[in-house]
Amino acid sequence: MSFTRRELPTIILTACGVLMLLAFFTPFVAFTTIKGTLTAWTIVISATSTWLGFAYMSYAQYRMLQRNPVLTQKIYFVTPFAFFLLFLVVGVSFPGDVSSPQYLWLLSSIYQQVGATVYAVMFFTLASSAYRTFTVASTEAVALLLGGTIYMLRQIPLFPAFAPWLVPLGEWILLVPNVGGGRGAVICAALAALVVGIRTLWGREITMVEV
Amino acid sequence: MSKEEKGSITMWEKLGNIDYRWLYALSLVLMIIPILNPLGLPTIVSEPTKGFYNAIVDLPPGSVVAVSFQGSLALLDEQEAQFIATWKILFQHEMKVIFYSPESDGEIILNDHLGKIVKPEDYGRVYGVDYVRLGYAPLGEPGEAAFSTNIRGVFPTDIHGTALDQIPMMKDINDHTGIDLVIFQHTACTSVEWPIRQWVVPYNMKCITMTLGCCGPMAAPYYPKQILGFLSGSGMGTELEVLSGNPGPGAVMSDAKNFGVLGLLLFLVLGNLSYLGKRFGGKE
Repeated sequence: MSFTRRELPTIILTACGVLMLLAFFTPFVAFTTIKGTLTAWTIVISATSTWLGFAYMSYAQYRMLQRNPVLTQKIYFVTPFAFFLLFLVVGVSFPGDVSSPQYLWLLSSIYQQVGATVYAVMFFTLASSAYRTFTVASTEAVALLLGGTIYMLRQIPLFPAFAPWLVPLGEWILLVPNVGGGRGAVICAALAALVVGIRTLWGREITMVEV
Repeated sequence: MSKEEKGSITMWEKLGNIDYRWLYALSLVLMIIPILNPLGLPTIVSEPTKGFYNAIVDLPPGSVVAVSFQGSLALLDEQEAQFIATWKILFQHEMKVIFYSPESDGEIILNDHLGKIVKPEDYGRVYGVDYVRLGYAPLGEPGEAAFSTNIRGVFPTDIHGTALDQIPMMKDINDHTGIDLVIFQHTACTSVEWPIRQWVVPYNMKCITMTLGCCGPMAAPYYPKQILGFLSGSGMGTELEVLSGNPGPGAVMSDAKNFGVLGLLLFLVLGNLSYLGKRFGGKE
């Protein structure tokens, strides 16, 4: 593999990682300044990656259309681009740009409503999933069902109004067993991240560069 | 297998195979009822909500609060009660507030909230002196780190294009040392760790968070040590409304959830009855 595809990204990653560690573990202002600059660069990279996402999306849509060139797929292909263009054109054409009444109308009448609908549909999906799979098939499932149900009942004012004991019980589930399990999971994830970080600094984490 | 046993098994199977559309219809009807006719049930305030509220009101007036606002238009119904109650508390207690949005939706929501619903000027707060809006930048976790070390490096101007040096409130504020409390609002559950990694651990900042109902259990492991309090979902938004004495949209949302969940619970019971019936009600 060429130097530019393997060694160079590794050197950049390692240098950035070491600088971040120095900023965290040493009192020198210079490292803090470098950290501020590097992290500010990531914002620019993040903004650029939006276009990368658009390119990937376009390519994926094109491939799907090639594989399945039927009318339905053509509609699926055209729809995202039509809305992309609509929002882009409206966003840059009217005074105020993305704060213009026209753009805000698109957001509140289309984007917000579609988003809210998708989120609302999730409730129904969740309900039917719970109906099918939330059964007391094992000890773990019983624990999950009991914990989940009690916490859910505690969150809904209707039930604590008639059964006040649900409040301390629901909070106990949230703040004791959930916290215990959650902290264990976080510590495990942190240890794993530490290993990945050390491997990255040493240039051993090939997944970071060979993509 | 006797005829009676065969009938019994069929009944359990039928119970486990009810058309989901009945569940959808039932939930829909149950949710609409309280919207048309609100229940007005009493709300019991939880400890994380008290922690959230106290973290703000315990600060002396004039303290600087940074609000990292990743509000989502699509999820607004779930969190709007939290937002509106929080803005009201901040302005009522005379905090100096820095709003910035790591998500583009955040600015649109803030335009609506601060322009129509909770006008800071109605509380005697003046733009540039008591609150400032820095606008949108695609921050992510590294952006939070950048913001905490050099605000001007991320936002050289405010949302109106005014240089931060020309804004009275921002003259002496350029990093975490000028901020007393961070309010971190997020919609991705694991993002609760961002302010902890970038604000709390390195600088020992006070931090509270706002998130969706489903993300509360992810925030709980960090309460009350790393985050002093948190709000998850419209339920806790309603609690904050009650605690702060600022009624808002939370009560309607909670009422809708009240009845909507009844349908879910009913089907949860039916699903389990079917499972148990099939397992224990069958032939020997």
